[in-house]
Amino acid sequence: MKQVQDSYLTGYVTLSVTGEKPELFFQHCTSAGITVWNVRKIAPDRCDGNLKLRDIKYIRKLNKQTNYKLKFTDRKGYPFLFRRFVRRKELLLGIILSMFLILFLSNIIWEVKITGVPKDIEEKINKQLQSDGIHPGAWIFSLKSPNEIQQKLVKDVPELLWVGVEQKGTTFSLEGVEKIIVEEEEPIGPRDLVATKKGIIKKMYVSNGLAKVQVNDYVKPGDKLVSGVINETTKEDNKEEDKKKEEKKELVAAEGEIIATTWYEVNVTAPLETSYESLTGNKEKKFFLKTGNFHLPVWGFGTPDYKHIHREINQNKIKFLKWELPVEFVETTLNEKTYTSVERSQEEAVKAGIEQAKQELTLQLGPDAVIVSEKVLHETIENGKVKLNLYINVEENIAKAQPLTQGD
Amino acid sequence: MKKLQQGIRPWLIKYLALPSDIVLELPRITIIGQLHVYIENHKGLATYSETELKLKINKGFIQITGSAFVLKMMLPEEILLEGTIQEVKFVPE
Repeated sequence: MKQVQDSYLTGYVTLSVTGEKPELFFQHCTSAGITVWNVRKIAPDRCDGNLKLRDIKYIRKLNKQTNYKLKFTDRKGYPFLFRRFVRRKELLLGIILSMFLILFLSNIIWEVKITGVPKDIEEKINKQLQSDGIHPGAWIFSLKSPNEIQQKLVKDVPELLWVGVEQKGTTFSLEGVEKIIVEEEEPIGPRDLVATKKGIIKKMYVSNGLAKVQVNDYVKPGDKLVSGVINETTKEDNKEEDKKKEEKKELVAAEGEIIATTWYEVNVTAPLETSYESLTGNKEKKFFLKTGNFHLPVWGFGTPDYKHIHREINQNKIKFLKWELPVEFVETTLNEKTYTSVERSQEEAVKAGIEQAKQELTLQLGPDAVIVSEKVLHETIENGKVKLNLYINVEENIAKAQPLTQGD
Repeated sequence: MKKLQQGIRPWLIKYLALPSDIVLELPRITIIGQLHVYIENHKGLATYSETELKLKINKGFIQITGSAFVLKMMLPEEILLEGTIQEVKFVPE
């Protein structure tokens, strides 16, 4: 049947042969190398059969030698379909029109997206864009280049520090960065600075207020470090000395940085045996089409015989024109991984423990704290773990603002 | 010469195991149930109707009878017959 498989594409006709022993005409055909199929004898003097469109010209030649009446009763296949289709003008017109419509629709702006800025600025940008002719429904090719738009926007909207303009098909994406207009800080009410932790003062820098402690003083939490109450008499101000001699208190917002050495006792345990995982470099990729919970494998079948597998899954939505289909393309990378366990000596474990303790402490105290020194106070080995009791010295700012309560 | 050829052919089949349909120019008939008959190496169509198909072969005819016959495919030396087959008969000349 291979010979007749493509007959629909190339077109075929049904031939009706009338005459005496009509089947012999088909025998002539096959002898001449013409493939004939579906031959049926309908009446004693009539026989129908199919043959390919391109063989018709040979049939005409054959018929001159024989005395049969030939009639084509049916035409099937793509060429006839196409001819019939072309004959229908309105259908052709419809297709051309729809092409133009698609062309038209894909060349106008559908959406202007503004991200990264608050609503009021978004509104302003929108207005500016409208006046520049960038709005849903505008022709894309009548617009200026994104670069120009970008520059113009930054110039025209003073609140914008920067704007990124990107054209993705029929969508204009704008990403703005707002200029933060720094307002003057509100005047802070009078306040003291007090200690938050116990420690020994190492460095002091007081920009406002009256220092109550000195370097190398020991302070406890809650101790007043810098006072916001300034006695006027202590101020060396010539005018004031001239004007008023009486004692009068002035209240200010104390400000300053008090760096003190503080200490922490930290307990950490470090195991003597550690294990970590690493990739061997062997990997295999698999591809799926996913709808809902159903995964249809596209490429990469079977599972590799890795002992331990690290999976990396990458999902992408499939788009049609601009709509997202509920189908996802999933790429899975299977990496072979191995577990390696390492035994450490006691010193190494102690080192690792100290490192860990330091890291935890800096995380807890913030980036301004500096670890000065550490000391192992106590060290025991239990169940394959080293237990450490550490003493850590840190230099940090211990000052905290405390508002002065003003008696009404 | 021709006689020698005639004599050598059965020998070829017997000792060299060559397929007999090619060596002796005999038709090869494949029948699938009652449904299909596939005839290769025939020498032409003699008669065909809804109930009967007669094909020329080297010596004589093959006559196939049955009902609802349709020639599914016709190639120069091959025919695929479809229908309900009842009988396949060799008719000497």
